[in-house]
Amino acid sequence: MTADVALQSISQSFGTFQALDNIDLSFGAGEFVVLLGPSGCGKSTLLFILGGFLSPTSGTVKIGGRDMDGVAPKNRPTTTMFQDYALFPHMSLRDNVGFGLRMKGMGRAARNAKAEDMLDLVGLRDKAGRKPHELSGGQRQRVALARALAVDPDVLLLDEPLGALDLKLRRQMQDELKAIQRKVGTTFVHVTHDQEEAMAIADRIVVMNQGRVEDFGAPEEIYLRPKTLFTANFMGDINLLPGDLHPAKPGIAHGVRPENVGLKGDVALGPATLDSTAFFGTYHRCHFRSTDAAATPYVAHLPLGDLPAPGATVPLFASHVVALQAAP
Amino acid sequence: MRALSYAYLVAIFAFIFLPVVVLVLFSFQAGRLPVPPFDGPSLKWYAEVLADRGLMEALRNSLFVALISSTIALTLGFLAAQGLARVHLPGSVIMRGLLIAPMTVSYLIIALGLLSMFNVIGVRPSLWATGVGHVVINLPLCFAILFAAMGDHQKNAERAARDLGASELQVVALVTAPMLKPALLAAFFLSVTFSWDEFIIAFLLTRFDVTLPVEIWSMLRSGLSPATNAIGSLVFLVSIAILIILELTVFRKPKS
Repeated sequence: MTADVALQSISQSFGTFQALDNIDLSFGAGEFVVLLGPSGCGKSTLLFILGGFLSPTSGTVKIGGRDMDGVAPKNRPTTTMFQDYALFPHMSLRDNVGFGLRMKGMGRAARNAKAEDMLDLVGLRDKAGRKPHELSGGQRQRVALARALAVDPDVLLLDEPLGALDLKLRRQMQDELKAIQRKVGTTFVHVTHDQEEAMAIADRIVVMNQGRVEDFGAPEEIYLRPKTLFTANFMGDINLLPGDLHPAKPGIAHGVRPENVGLKGDVALGPATLDSTAFFGTYHRCHFRSTDAAATPYVAHLPLGDLPAPGATVPLFASHVVALQAAP
Repeated sequence: MRALSYAYLVAIFAFIFLPVVVLVLFSFQAGRLPVPPFDGPSLKWYAEVLADRGLMEALRNSLFVALISSTIALTLGFLAAQGLARVHLPGSVIMRGLLIAPMTVSYLIIALGLLSMFNVIGVRPSLWATGVGHVVINLPLCFAILFAAMGDHQKNAERAARDLGASELQVVALVTAPMLKPALLAAFFLSVTFSWDEFIIAFLLTRFDVTLPVEIWSMLRSGLSPATNAIGSLVFLVSIAILIILELTVFRKPKS
């Protein structure tokens, strides 16, 4: 099952701290949305509001068009997959996954069958009789996913579920998470502070900062055409151009990604000296400094073979320059 | 050096257990006095003790008080710990302190306090009054053990259960209590042993129906007898049994 989600002017304050400031967002049914931002930006608070663990100071949450005001977590069409998995240590995997069905009053035979199907979905059917402490971190994570999906939620909320896994396992789980989401079609709202993870799994990314939405769009859009200075910086390296170089477009700053700085392009950056380089496998990461009085630093990712000698002065060019706002 | 450490080991265990060994040994005395020389073994004092109605009734009273008061102390302690661990209340640190504070007060003072309070409100000394006293001494213990066992891990599991549709009662019955099972058992059995052994509160707050320690006390006033050794050994046996149950259920390492 699946449903769309609408957040209308959501604000949340804890004492004098404004955790969320007038958030307006809507997600389509079956969409994989990632809430991305540094710690303390309000992304987890927003997730808890969606799940019903927190009622917003003001604003409305609608899931499938239904107002969720005053609806307890257990009565919402949402389930949450928690950061530490929160599995029940005294129950077998089968009973863990079947717990939500048991609460709905489903009989033992039916819920065991359903629980085993869900475990099959995450590749753990053969371990149905085991206890959580017998599993590895990645396996526990899969059980938590199966448990949250077993009750057929319209919206699945994931609170930094991959945070505790090592890098390789995290990349593998991202692919699995995305594949499972495609298969079940449930709306996923996923919180993370890892922008690579966000780009790898999201249909659309919400970039958050200090309780506000900085940017909202497909990964390509967010990365290539960031709206704000914050988004541009958070999504990767960005070179800020001196005021007199950019094409006349409104904005407080103009930026260009390192891969769009090179020896040819639309905008001439002037001569620059190569200070240092580092080899990154598919490209060289080069630190340049302009030869004029400002000595503007530029980072460029040059393709293999294009590398000037260290200390050489070459004319630099940029393409795909974006105009950046101070705030959304 | 090695021999010395073994000698130390033997000495320390002798120090701890010799009195009990002597007690148990002379419970098998054939003669009328539990003093050397040992002239047993004989089971006649056990036969006498087990045939003694007063003693057996005191034993049943003790069990009754221990089980009921421990159940009440455990329930109240659990609810208090669950409340204070889950809900942020103003002054919760003070409440926690006040709940644990009775642990530092001597049983004699608690007994005297209860005695005068019961006098004021007109409650006669009885097994029930003693049970109330035992709840007073065991509640702080149960609370402290359970509060220490409640962590974030459990809080998150409870939240997950609620999210999956469990009512508050189901959360407690299906998640909280099973996750706390070792702490619950430890608190319960410790309460039972403390209540089982407790003398001064029971002495001051009972009159006609008495608990076993009080009955043993009145036996001792009529002089030493191997019968007191026998009943002492039986009490000791019960304590050992509880210890073994604890060892098997609570402190057993989970197989991994």
